[in-house]
Amino acid sequence: MAPTSFRILKTLAISAVASLAVMACGGGGGGGNGGLASDQTLNFPILGDFGTLDPAVADAETDSEIQQNFQDGLVRFDNDLNIVPDLATAVPTPSSDGMTYTFNLRHDATFSNGDKFTSKDVLYSWNRAAAYQGSYATNLSAIAGYDTVAKNKKAGAELETLLEKNDPSVTLTGLTAPDPYTVQVKLSQPAGWFLTAIALQGTTGWIVDQNAVKQNPDNWWSNPATAIGTGPFKMVSYTPKQSVEFDAVDNWWGSPKPTLKKVKIDISVTNASTAITKYEQGGYDIVGYGGYSNLPVADILRIKNTSSESAQLLLHPKVRSYWVSFNMVHDASRQAGGPFLLSGGDKAKNLRLAFALAVDKNALVQTVCQSIVCTAATGGLIPPTLIGHLDSTDPLSAFDAAKAKQLLQANGGASAVSGLKYAYDPENPLNVASAQFLQAQWQQNLGVHVDLLPVAHSPFIKARLKGDYVLSRDGWQADYNHPQDWFDNIWGSKVGCPDSGCTTGYTTKAYDDLLAKADAEPVDQAKADYAKLNQMLIDDVVYIPLFYSVGAFLIKPYVKGAGSNSFSDNLWNGISIQSH
Amino acid sequence: MFTRGTLIYIGQRLVLIVLAVLGVSSLVFLGIHRLPGDALFSEHLHGDQYQQTLHHYGLDRPLWVQYVNFLAGMIHGNLGESLVNRGVPITPIVLREMSVSAEIGLVALIFTVGIGMTFGVVAAIRQNTWMDYVLSTTSVIGYSMPNFVIATFLILVFGIWLDNFTQGTFYFQIGWPGRYGSIGAIWLPAFALGFPYASIVARLTRASMLEVIRQDYIRTARAKGLREAVIMVRHGLRNALIPVITILGPLVIGIITGGVVIENIFGIPGLGKEFANSILNRDYNIVIGVFTGYAALVGLANLGVDLLYVVIDPRIRY
Repeated sequence: MAPTSFRILKTLAISAVASLAVMACGGGGGGGNGGLASDQTLNFPILGDFGTLDPAVADAETDSEIQQNFQDGLVRFDNDLNIVPDLATAVPTPSSDGMTYTFNLRHDATFSNGDKFTSKDVLYSWNRAAAYQGSYATNLSAIAGYDTVAKNKKAGAELETLLEKNDPSVTLTGLTAPDPYTVQVKLSQPAGWFLTAIALQGTTGWIVDQNAVKQNPDNWWSNPATAIGTGPFKMVSYTPKQSVEFDAVDNWWGSPKPTLKKVKIDISVTNASTAITKYEQGGYDIVGYGGYSNLPVADILRIKNTSSESAQLLLHPKVRSYWVSFNMVHDASRQAGGPFLLSGGDKAKNLRLAFALAVDKNALVQTVCQSIVCTAATGGLIPPTLIGHLDSTDPLSAFDAAKAKQLLQANGGASAVSGLKYAYDPENPLNVASAQFLQAQWQQNLGVHVDLLPVAHSPFIKARLKGDYVLSRDGWQADYNHPQDWFDNIWGSKVGCPDSGCTTGYTTKAYDDLLAKADAEPVDQAKADYAKLNQMLIDDVVYIPLFYSVGAFLIKPYVKGAGSNSFSDNLWNGISIQSH
Repeated sequence: MFTRGTLIYIGQRLVLIVLAVLGVSSLVFLGIHRLPGDALFSEHLHGDQYQQTLHHYGLDRPLWVQYVNFLAGMIHGNLGESLVNRGVPITPIVLREMSVSAEIGLVALIFTVGIGMTFGVVAAIRQNTWMDYVLSTTSVIGYSMPNFVIATFLILVFGIWLDNFTQGTFYFQIGWPGRYGSIGAIWLPAFALGFPYASIVARLTRASMLEVIRQDYIRTARAKGLREAVIMVRHGLRNALIPVITILGPLVIGIITGGVVIENIFGIPGLGKEFANSILNRDYNIVIGVFTGYAALVGLANLGVDLLYVVIDPRIRY
């Protein structure tokens, strides 16, 4: 090589090494312990942007996890899932006939823009939410006049105009305000679940500021100038799909007063493993917040086995259950048919039971979740910690391969269940692993081959609720701590079974009658009836229980007060950053 | 350098790009609306409430009416609103994400050309020496490995091992500070994105240089006593670049589409991270916006590459 060429190469090599050294330079942390840090900023990612922060239409876990920190309801859940006062001064006791609730409101509550909170805001927020007919509008369905308001077709500015002039088409007749700090709610029929439903954070029972909403009726929540709530934090910047920031509200009316000054939420990272790596580098203080506690099993295992990090891992049972549903009705609207129909009597029921008993649920959670991110569903479909979880072991959760085989043989053998397909949505890795496990179990323990049918989530849900699948992945995430949330929304004619919004098609007169009775009772009385409803499902072998989910969080040791209950993240106003 | 003919050519190409973008977005519009499922239907939203929400977004209208509305919006630069991020206008999101993808794509292209040509030239000059073997082997490795494997490996080395080894003093910090990435944030993803293509450029440059440096005019230049660096750069490399420029077009498309994976792995808020999610979520307008953005990026990048011919080879005129 000529000397000049060598010099060029040498220069290139030195430049490359120098550039790498400069560019690889990152920040590191250090310092002592004890006391509050001077910088009270909390950083965490959410792995997908929230859909909306408007309580009238919000329907995703991420939405409500954010909303619960800058909006309020009249009542809310505490960390033990008790209903506690929020903007109301006390949790109201219903009238003796269970038809009237009177809420006394706090006099000191204000919105973050300084507007006073009064009963007018409750009427506006609830009428608006009922008129919008979002996913959780039915949380207000017990209020007299709901059926009329539910027919409203107007939205946006047109709806605002109707609300402004208290148009009867968008006014719940059962909702009145005798004075600025009292709200009276008259129900159309007793509903023991009413208070629980309006406590659900970030949904239709929560309060918005009319002055802010009317400035941009469709999109007020995405602009810091109009994203106004009564909560301890206020939005100060939002770049969709990139980041959102909240600041603590000065002199907030409630308690505990926020210690954090700022909350920065990164929306740009959508991959959980990437978020975990950034957390390990010190880029985040928490991972798993905002409804993203379903972290990859491999990462959790690795962290669990890393001595310096294992103490930062928090595993907490969550309120999602997974099970297998059968198609149980065949009619003009449900064409899937299959061997598991209610009309098939005992033979079909025994086949359903054979399929249930053939699955080893303990092996399932070991294989699918490494016994970390889920636990076997042995107490009915409602997870532990929630009202309605069975005291006794669910017989459908048993594993008895011999009995399963015997039931199959006695009821037509493998030929009676030939050509079956198990439909599932593969976006969730747990669904894929479960499907493969179930296929192997049915093959091994029953000698029945079941084909797997992966379908993208959106069309899967649509087809499943139409009753298009004979066997399908099913599940439910509790909205609030009341069995009504489960028994009203999954089975029975109330949700639309057999022909609409119903995976199994399961409905019987006995189920519907008992459900109506239970729904009308105060929750303490209703528990026994809901337990009977669960027993009906067990007796009719309506489902194969699989597992309850477990949430995983990574929390830096210097973040105090962060964590989760089985529903939601701990509130930001209970969190502080310690010196580190 | 840019004659009147060149400017006319650029104008024509820009018109074609606009037409191509319109065509792509129309095809995607029809395709995505034909996919089963939608963004709104859920376990909580079905029946009458679902119908009402469809009505709110105009999704209960005949497809041709929706298409006409979409075209009218497109012409005015309005891609509509997201269905998942309810009511959020899409055009600013797509433009922002497009600029982020363009930024990382451009840096990756610089890596591709810079590393590829350096490797190729050095390997050719030092043909059949250990340096040639090392660089050629590196190129084969780069060419053989998918970019997501390279990305994961680089994160492991620079993000985790280096962090542990230096006790948190030196490491690559994953993330994207602000709207555009800093040099510290962009170099590793850009390298991961560009390295496989750099390997192709290296192999092509080596072959091209080997052919050029055996030409008579190179021998003549040496006989005239020109410095070796001048011979290699001015007479050798410039002529060797023509075939390299020819494949830059396809490489640019590869780099832009390769960003889908790299952006997701490195947490970069570009178009790539929208790609799969928006389709899975059936967020119609975002899907159309993402494809429209990619079509525009590919069109503009190809135009840029074609204009490079004029710079490199004075014989080429438009």
